[in-house]
Amino acid sequence: MKEIVVISGKGGTGKTSITASFAFLANEDIVVADCDVDAADMHLLLQPDYEKSEDFHSGVLAEIDQDKCVKCGKCAEVCRFDAIPKTNSQYIVNPLDCEGCGYCCHICPTDAILMKEQNVGKCYISNTRMNNKMVHARLNIGAENSGKLVAKVKNEAKKLAEKYQKEFVLVDGSPGIGCPVISSLSGADLVVFVTEPTISAFHDLRRVYELVDQFKIQTVCILNKSDLNENISQEIQDFMRTNKISLLSSLPYDDSFTKAMIEGKTITEFNDDIKMLLEISWNQIKQIISKK
Amino acid sequence: MKIIFTTTGLDWDSKMDPRFGRTEYFIIFDEDKDELTSYDNTAIADVAHGAGPQTAQKMFEFKPDILITGNGPGGNAARVLQNSNITIYIGAGNMTVKEAYDAFKNGKLRIY
Repeated sequence: MKEIVVISGKGGTGKTSITASFAFLANEDIVVADCDVDAADMHLLLQPDYEKSEDFHSGVLAEIDQDKCVKCGKCAEVCRFDAIPKTNSQYIVNPLDCEGCGYCCHICPTDAILMKEQNVGKCYISNTRMNNKMVHARLNIGAENSGKLVAKVKNEAKKLAEKYQKEFVLVDGSPGIGCPVISSLSGADLVVFVTEPTISAFHDLRRVYELVDQFKIQTVCILNKSDLNENISQEIQDFMRTNKISLLSSLPYDDSFTKAMIEGKTITEFNDDIKMLLEISWNQIKQIISKK
Repeated sequence: MKIIFTTTGLDWDSKMDPRFGRTEYFIIFDEDKDELTSYDNTAIADVAHGAGPQTAQKMFEFKPDILITGNGPGGNAARVLQNSNITIYIGAGNMTVKEAYDAFKNGKLRIY
């Protein structure tokens, strides 16, 4: 069983559209893991059935026991997030501002502050309309994604892949370069970049490449909307060549991506030309990964 | 020579864990004493952020000369490890511990 992780650095390059297309093309061969938990949207295209769900706990928030509190104010003083305002002569933690660092709890002279574990959302195991198993999650309002949640989603996906003897786990990775992305990449066999020729996408691609390079994972690239800007498109291709990243395909800018999305379909169900290009890319990915 | 492996189980036949920071177990093989010990790192699954440096810190307690893992460690863990004298070998993510050790002995793993 091999793990393929799709990332982009910048949002809006078509990462999820393309990942969902691969899920469509591969159907029963794979388990899908949506690790883009902050803004999960792959369920809109794959329409999972939410077969099993489980509460997910991550991170801690401070809570002050007013009976033990001697109102010394030390906690409010050290809190660099200004999360402990004094209201009606009581110190009360504002859960939206608290980052859970634990400094207040550490310095409280009367041990009045407890760090409480937070229920941040739910983790799901589903069957998609393409008959692949899918592991995904939904965060509560204001809750943040973490390396822990991503690791959990990926672990569940791996377990399913082993249980049902699936060849691949296909991961829709998180955006950016922080903890959730590191956790998305950790353990991957192949990374697929999805990018577009814009200044910000190229900038973010280079940042995320630094991270991937640290992990020493083989990387391939799909250049989406490749005809948006010829100069940047050329620069990205030069960057790929210099860093030995093979370019699987260049897709044209096409309105049908949006139209497909509005109908809740993958682009492969909507536009035969792009379907063909993505089919070739998916087959190349399978070939590359089977050689490893 | 003391060699530490990132693994998903406790013996030579266990699969390697390709991850460093979130590895489930460590297996430590002391070549001089011909002794195999292990460490359960599964509690790391409860850590929301900063798994890499935390696992690195734990690993230092075993004083290994060599680390064998799958992918390279992530940014923060890599920075910590670069300041140690441990030589890191990667590319063993899809092997068993025994296979990884043999591959290392035969010079088939890449130095990170």
